[in-house]
Amino acid sequence: MSNRRHYSLTLRLALIFALLAFALLATLGVALYRELERELIKRDDAALIYRADQLRNLLNDSNTLDLIKTKPELFQNMLGNSESVLSIAAPGQKPLLLVNPGNIEMPAVSPVPKDHALGFADVHHLPGINGVPFATIAASIDSGDLGSLQVTTGRLMTERTAMLASYRLSVFFLASIAAVILAVVSYLLVHRGLVPLRRLAAHTQGIGVGNLAERLDSHGTPKELLPMIDSFNTMLERLAKGFVQLGQVSTDMAHELRTPINNLLGETQVALQQQRSVESYQQLLASNVEELERLARMLDNMLFLARTDPASALRQRQELSAADEVERIADYFEGLASDVDMRIQAEGEGVIWAEPMLLRRALANLCANAIKYGAPRSELVIQAIPNAEGIHLRVSNHGETIAAEHLLRLFERFYRVDESRERSAQSNGLGLSIVATIMQLHNGRYSVSSEAGVTCFELFFPRRED
Amino acid sequence: MNILVVEDEPKAGNYLLNGLQELGYSVSLARDGVDGLHQALETPFDVIVLDVMMPKMDGWEVLRRLRKEADTPVLFLTARDDIADRIKGLELGADDYLIKPFSFAELVARLRTLTRRGPSREEEQLQIADLQIDVLKRRVIRAGTRITLTNKEFALLHLFATHQDQVLSRSLIASRVWDMNFDSDTNVVDVAVRRLRLKIDDPFQLKLIHSVRGIGYRFDTQP
Repeated sequence: MSNRRHYSLTLRLALIFALLAFALLATLGVALYRELERELIKRDDAALIYRADQLRNLLNDSNTLDLIKTKPELFQNMLGNSESVLSIAAPGQKPLLLVNPGNIEMPAVSPVPKDHALGFADVHHLPGINGVPFATIAASIDSGDLGSLQVTTGRLMTERTAMLASYRLSVFFLASIAAVILAVVSYLLVHRGLVPLRRLAAHTQGIGVGNLAERLDSHGTPKELLPMIDSFNTMLERLAKGFVQLGQVSTDMAHELRTPINNLLGETQVALQQQRSVESYQQLLASNVEELERLARMLDNMLFLARTDPASALRQRQELSAADEVERIADYFEGLASDVDMRIQAEGEGVIWAEPMLLRRALANLCANAIKYGAPRSELVIQAIPNAEGIHLRVSNHGETIAAEHLLRLFERFYRVDESRERSAQSNGLGLSIVATIMQLHNGRYSVSSEAGVTCFELFFPRRED
Repeated sequence: MNILVVEDEPKAGNYLLNGLQELGYSVSLARDGVDGLHQALETPFDVIVLDVMMPKMDGWEVLRRLRKEADTPVLFLTARDDIADRIKGLELGADDYLIKPFSFAELVARLRTLTRRGPSREEEQLQIADLQIDVLKRRVIRAGTRITLTNKEFALLHLFATHQDQVLSRSLIASRVWDMNFDSDTNVVDVAVRRLRLKIDDPFQLKLIHSVRGIGYRFDTQP
């Protein structure tokens, strides 16, 4: 495994929630802010228009004009604060009245004609001073003797700017607080939500060789964990089964070893009881060698079955001529078969994609069985039948039909159809399980059928993949 | 032939020493790796039989140090049936290996192969007592009588004739004649030998194929 750091799901989720909360609240805040800003501007603009309108009406009355001339302070008070500006002037002349306590620079604005009602569109928005927006409106009035006058009124929106600024700050602040709260809450919730997982981990930790029968409890766990629990339990099931099988194989093997060891021990002990001829000692030793060879073969087979390195077998696969291979096997068993008056008929074509030694071993095991259990004077048929996916190898013999209940178990280690009859020096009950292992190594298939006195073993080797 | 056996297991060492000496070889036995390496460097041997699992200095180390100085053929013995183990040995410069348990006849056959200098010329005509074998024409005549053999019977006879006086194990015969390199649980070899005997030995006074009980067969004019 690499040294890659493991991230915390809890932390990650908390951070994601916090970010999402912040983003959502901030977006909402900005949207509301825009709405508020628009409303405020509208309100301010309406106030300006109202004022300009009033002035227009007022100034139509010549008395008011006089009043401006005589008592300008009246108008100064009318505006009420230093952010407002009012000027009344004839075009191109010094203003008749200028109220500008804040000394705001008045930009030139084209006036709205007399016969035109004032609207929002007539309000001019200017950048103003120091970023504080400045709104202004100008209107022409007819004041009789003084001719056409221009009334300009404006206002610096300091108050509005300040209000909006504080609003912005609140939005940011509230969104941040919400994010932090959500982060903490989601951290706690996820942490709590993962409690079943930790419980499972603790339970799993407790399962060992001794209690493989135990299963993970899905009670009270969230639905999302059920598939994991189920597959874990299935795995335990398989492990337990494999373990039992392994134990069974060890027991069987120990029992299997008893026979040759018993023979060795007994024969040798009896031989040593008294003085014997050289001839009988030689006989004993030869018999011992036979038993020892049997032990060695069994050991060899057990090791072969225990070897679980499919990669090396697969690497050594070759394209073998099926005709050559069945011929070779037929040659090998020819003598043995004719001893019991059996004829071997080998036929086939195509290519077998297999490791040669393993293929021959599998075929040899099948043929040895076929000859052992085949009826005398019958025919042993070895066939190779290629198709699009690979090649089928068939070994069939005439003989006693094997009952269906045995067929399925034939490939198990040490399984024998007839316990008493077949425990001989020539059989160690591993032949077919070796065939099964070889086929598994080749990703192939194996099967057996037994009907009407013909028993047929079939192996399938998949063809070479391009 | 001068053989060095490096084996720490007392029983194994003794039987290898006795067995090889009885076959007429000159054998030295070293009981551990240090002694084995010392002897191997001191004396020129024709072949070394080296056990891998030994105390003090294991077979791999002996082989590694030996290969710096000499290229004496080495056959190593291992109890582990690992492919990795075998590859390691061959990479270190071993020439052959046997996995325990092995048959003594097999060991002797391998040692002979290792010490045979240069490829042996395939003889075209073989004559053993009154048996004549024409390898090219695949014709066998004994005491003037033509004997018809099947292909495999001929291959078996040829194997025997080219390994006179040597005990051939069943697995060696299966491997050479049928290319079946594994111990099968069948007595195919015995059957084949019996059938060959039926043709080349049974009708004649002088028997050539002898059973060596518990080991295999020997082809010899001497009983």
